Amino acid sequence: MKDPVPGRPAAESPAGAGPGGAAAAGPAPWFQHSVFYEVLVRGFYDANDDGTGDLKGLTSKLDYLSWLGVDCLWLLPFYQSPLRDGGYDISDFFTILPEYGDLADAVELVEQAHRRGIRVIADLVMNHTSDQHPWFQESRQDRTNPKADWYVWSDDDQRWPEARIIFVDTEKSNWTFDQTRQQYYWHRFFSHQPDLNFDHPAVADAMIDVVKFWLDVGLDGFRLDAVPYLFERDGSNGENLLESHNYLKRLRAEVDASHPNKVLLAEANQWPADVVDYFGDGDECHMCFHFPLMPRMFMAVRREQRYPITEILAQTPDIPQGCQWGIFLRNHDELTLEMVTDEERDYMYAEYAKDPRMRRNIGIGRRLAPLVENDRRVAELLHAMLFSLPGSPILYYGDELLMGDNIYLGDRDGVRTPMQWSPDRNAGFSRADFAQLYLPPLMDPVYGFSGVNVEAQMRNPSSFLQWMRRMLDVRRQHPVFGTGAFEVLPAENPSVLAYVRSHEDEAGHQNVVLCVNNLSRFAQPCELALGRWEGRTPVELLGRVPFPRVGALPYFVTLAPYAFYWFDLIEVQEETL
Amino acid sequence: MKAEDLLSGITPLLEPYIARQRWAAADPGGKVSVEKAELLDGFEPPTLWLLVRRHGDLYQLLIGLRPEDEPLDLGERDVLGVFASGGKAWFAYDGLADADIVKHLAATMDVTGVEDAIVRPVGAEQSNSSVVLGQKVILKLFRRLQLGPNPDVEVSTGLDQVGFNHLASPLGVWSRDDYDLAVAQEFLAGGSEGWALALTSLRDLYASEEEDPAVAGGDFASEARRIGEMTARMHIALGKAFGVHPPSLSEWADALVQQVDRLRLGADVRLRAEALARRVVVLKEVPSVRVHGDLHLGQVMRADAGWFVLDFEGEPARPVAERRLPWPAAKDVAGMVRSFAYAAAAALHERESSEREALEGRAQAWEQRNRQAFLEGYASVEGLEDVLPAEGPDSDAHRDLLAFFEFDKALYEVAYERAHRPDWEDIPLAAIERLGKG
Repeated sequence: MKDPVPGRPAAESPAGAGPGGAAAAGPAPWFQHSVFYEVLVRGFYDANDDGTGDLKGLTSKLDYLSWLGVDCLWLLPFYQSPLRDGGYDISDFFTILPEYGDLADAVELVEQAHRRGIRVIADLVMNHTSDQHPWFQESRQDRTNPKADWYVWSDDDQRWPEARIIFVDTEKSNWTFDQTRQQYYWHRFFSHQPDLNFDHPAVADAMIDVVKFWLDVGLDGFRLDAVPYLFERDGSNGENLLESHNYLKRLRAEVDASHPNKVLLAEANQWPADVVDYFGDGDECHMCFHFPLMPRMFMAVRREQRYPITEILAQTPDIPQGCQWGIFLRNHDELTLEMVTDEERDYMYAEYAKDPRMRRNIGIGRRLAPLVENDRRVAELLHAMLFSLPGSPILYYGDELLMGDNIYLGDRDGVRTPMQWSPDRNAGFSRADFAQLYLPPLMDPVYGFSGVNVEAQMRNPSSFLQWMRRMLDVRRQHPVFGTGAFEVLPAENPSVLAYVRSHEDEAGHQNVVLCVNNLSRFAQPCELALGRWEGRTPVELLGRVPFPRVGALPYFVTLAPYAFYWFDLIEVQEETL
Repeated sequence: MKAEDLLSGITPLLEPYIARQRWAAADPGGKVSVEKAELLDGFEPPTLWLLVRRHGDLYQLLIGLRPEDEPLDLGERDVLGVFASGGKAWFAYDGLADADIVKHLAATMDVTGVEDAIVRPVGAEQSNSSVVLGQKVILKLFRRLQLGPNPDVEVSTGLDQVGFNHLASPLGVWSRDDYDLAVAQEFLAGGSEGWALALTSLRDLYASEEEDPAVAGGDFASEARRIGEMTARMHIALGKAFGVHPPSLSEWADALVQQVDRLRLGADVRLRAEALARRVVVLKEVPSVRVHGDLHLGQVMRADAGWFVLDFEGEPARPVAERRLPWPAAKDVAGMVRSFAYAAAAALHERESSEREALEGRAQAWEQRNRQAFLEGYASVEGLEDVLPAEGPDSDAHRDLLAFFEFDKALYEVAYERAHRPDWEDIPLAAIERLGKG
């Protein structure tokens, strides 16, 4: 099909566009079947009563995470930092932020997690450091010191005008003047985060030493922050440069050689056609986030039609064997609108960020529940899609409770409030004085911890938390969600999104799971052409209820508002049902 | 086996079979005469192709033949019956219901890659029937034939050749003796009609707490805008493919006033029709192009790659020669603009009559917003100056033409509604009330 959507990457055939590894020889890599859980150490649990979460606190809550059914934790940065950007401004790569604990605590966390079958990856910022990092402090002294070229310096602020400014709310330029050295330094993010100069061999080597140090500690991989920006070149916008890809390939090769079976998860907020380059030929990053999918899932529900989703999936190229997308609904950053068109962005702002305070940089700073106006049906539908679309799902701490946010807190803190464990003081998060807490827990009547907390939801069999646990359980039983081929089924009703995930198991049996989603707030009918599976019986996966056998005629399904079905299409003799 | 030998046996089965079909004229008990008969070369099972005349209409029939003891399990509509010929009993049926015959037909049209495809029927239209092969190819068999090129085949082939890509690419045509018999096109899998999407948006608005369609969640304006852009690109491509011609303005201007008289819409409407016609007649240098001819929300389809235009047959009730005439592009623009009004009204008709008055403001706001977005999208495309009056889409001339054709379309709608749905007449009448004032 030709692609009449102008200004977009050419559409590739979506048919069979499963993640790499659909027909892989040998077992699929672990991360293709994992559910990730993004956790803010600061906000999870405070073990030493100082008002700030810590590694020991997280370790003490591993049983909860194991109960919930997550496979891999993603820790936000835990390194030494002046904390002017949530720890993404690292001032010492080899030291744990003292508020979080020490290296021994990190080793203990990893060991205890592994004992429960949970892996741990951590954020790592390669592109830049804090301006407090000793490397920068040395580099800025003069133009001749040993680390003089470890950062990117210039006599004027005119170079690389093509590079866009990412934090448009706070930054006016990508160059900032340093009084000491009397030169400008380059920074793609905040001015207190100077970019490292990866053209310098010593910098390139030093960052690989950082990676290996933490792999030795026991980490299972990294979420690599801001990878498109590692290098700078004249006449380019400084994103997705070949040099950056080559460096990541070197990193991958060195990790594979010394620490096999790890994962590198790239944060590259780009169009899918550009992002796939970060998989290389299966020799670069194992995983990449699929950024454009997320806002479009919200948009599809709001517009009650599937095209925002199917359009971006049709534009998503196949990825190499052994690779995987990371997909998510929310994370610690704003709901990113960089990867939507201007018109779509206006729409999203109008719909989801009615109060200008909700807007952060180019995005919307809200948690999942407030984004869907606390409609549990929509939250369930969005998660059902998250767990069944191609990719490994990444949850954000607290969203399993439908926690809220506080848009009156500064920057992106609104979605980083303490985990709500119980109705006790400080949400059961900390026994410190209230005033000592890093951020106040939510106390409003809708999302406040007195009603929304782990303890209450564990006791209530119909809670969202229990529903989530059940879904993760069902997903785990069906590896086809992790590695199966993906194909959208045509449906005349635009409010219905139907697709199949399929793969062949070891016995040569074709496993087929049919997912049908109603994006509308009204009940909807739908006819599906299931002729290929004539004679099979759809069995609904949550209740194991058999539905009428697939015949030659289109298969008719009715869906309640925001309903979804997962059907295992099984071959079975009628009498055994 | 020869085709002629089968005729005596099969001819009595034809009339009852044709009379059951949606594509046949409704006259009861007509006589069917076979003008041509042929066993198609290489088809297995044997497939009989007939050209038959019934009430002056010409039809092609594609009939599959299987031994009587090996019949296909088909619906009543598709079965002609059993007849004897040459000492053998044959089960005769609609060939389009047989996947093997469909695949032979596809092969005849040089369509490849569908050998293992599942074949399923997809709805029957007034003049043709379609089957889909493996979600890749749609094969349309024209049932009622008209001499000369089929406009759908002609226009989609022409547009494809000049690089217009908002349409299902033609893959092959089956023609013989100056008749287009069937066409194979790329199947737009996963598509939804614009009409269905518009109603989705409207149902959301009518059930919303928001009065303003711009704020309601299911806003359609961005889609309307894209449909406008596509329509403009289509007109530019039609100009390239079929040339730009001078129009014959006075003919349709007269027709407009006559139509008002026929519908007895009163002196006030007649005056406005005359005023609209006068403004159009004096226009100079209005280019005309081949147009879609029946452009509305049901003729555009949203798929993953964007919007597509369907079905270039034009209004099927009109003779082919008339459908192939060039028109000002504003005729298509008016058709789509009217469709927004119809969508808003159709969704209103879904509601209880007691609710309608309260929702009318929203219906008008929706129509206005999407009409505006569609026209803005249309005007935003570069290259329109070749197919529109001088000074382009913002000129008075284009606006006058648009008003004229909207009025014209609304008159056609009044006639249609009076005949079919009298309680819907108020929809086009509201437009007539608004148009041509001032």
